Amino acid sequence: MRNLLQKVALVIVLLAAAASVGCGRPFDIKTPSEMLELKDQDPPFAYRAMTPDGVVVAMRVVDDDRADLGFWEHAVTLRIRELAGYSLLHESDVTSHDGTKGKELVFGHDENGKPYVYKVRVFVAQGRVFVLEAGGAKPQMDRYTPVVDWTMNSVKVTCRALLSPVFASRTCNRW
Amino acid sequence: MRRVLVAITLIAGVAACGGAQSMSPPSSPSMAAAPPPPPPSPAMGGKPGGQPWASVLAKTTPGTPAGPASAPHVAMMLIYTAHLTLAVFQVEAGPRARFDEALGSVEKHGDVLHRDVTAEDVTDEYADLDVRLKNARAMRDRLQQLLQNAAVKEAIDIEKELGRVTEDIERMEGKLKLLSDQIAFSTITVTFQPIDQNPVHDLARLPLPWLKDLGLAELLNVKEATP
Repeated sequence: MRNLLQKVALVIVLLAAAASVGCGRPFDIKTPSEMLELKDQDPPFAYRAMTPDGVVVAMRVVDDDRADLGFWEHAVTLRIRELAGYSLLHESDVTSHDGTKGKELVFGHDENGKPYVYKVRVFVAQGRVFVLEAGGAKPQMDRYTPVVDWTMNSVKVTCRALLSPVFASRTCNRW
Repeated sequence: MRRVLVAITLIAGVAACGGAQSMSPPSSPSMAAAPPPPPPSPAMGGKPGGQPWASVLAKTTPGTPAGPASAPHVAMMLIYTAHLTLAVFQVEAGPRARFDEALGSVEKHGDVLHRDVTAEDVTDEYADLDVRLKNARAMRDRLQQLLQNAAVKEAIDIEKELGRVTEDIERMEGKLKLLSDQIAFSTITVTFQPIDQNPVHDLARLPLPWLKDLGLAELLNVKEATP
């Protein structure tokens, strides 16, 4: 009887674990009070938030485990810099809040004669590519730099878990 | 298929056609100094026979003289115009001093897809205009003579007529000069047509839509959520 209860409990746990797969975002990000998270955004954005004056932070998640961080960093840089004509202003190593190593690329681009700033952070984890973007007109981006950086630094690459509020800080790539 | 069409018009200074020499106004230095223009024959700008466009050359405008053998007794005054379509990958073309040299030079830049050389016969028009001009000048001379001995009332009428005749002379001289220029300078219109059914890009792109969508335009194009 006791053996049977153990088996039932094990099955329940496994079912719960299985059910949790596919629920929630595969990452965690905090929205500051200066920004509003936008709901029902069309793919490919898994998250998008913006300030009243047009500074946007967004996250794309791409299911692709075929390459490493160096590859994607180079691909993004080429795309933005050489094909879209943006100026690469700064490039640096970054670490997400959960410790995942990534790359940050800061670009400048003129739109209708006005300067804009476009930041991209790339993380590779869980067999996915996490592309964290922030952009807006340069004066607004300058003004909101602490807010944008805070938001981008809050990112955790988490598991798809039903219990994500509890385990949000757990990163799959560390498991 | 994306095609890039570049039209370059080369005005090649060439000689008046051989038969035009007797009809050329002596006052036209370009006509007097210019060597004869090339006839619309395969030799013009041409590669030796057997070229793809050789058959096209045979299809020149009906009535166009093919060479000295078919030239009529009356000296011919022809305005040559050539249209060529070339498949090219590099073009560095410039005007050439002579029609055939220009054609030959242009044709080196690509495979001639289409070649159309035509000649417009303006002999009758030129001759008619030349006769009318001579008559008008003679009329002007007579009016000027009459004016010298005319009374005041008659002089006014003669002045009016003299003005009209002078105006006619200027108009005919202009038309004659235009014709002379067209005869002396052949027009070559060249269309460079890259064949780019399988274009090679300088920088191959990863076939990943999300990479293509990166950038401010997509990021800042925020759509309003439906309620």
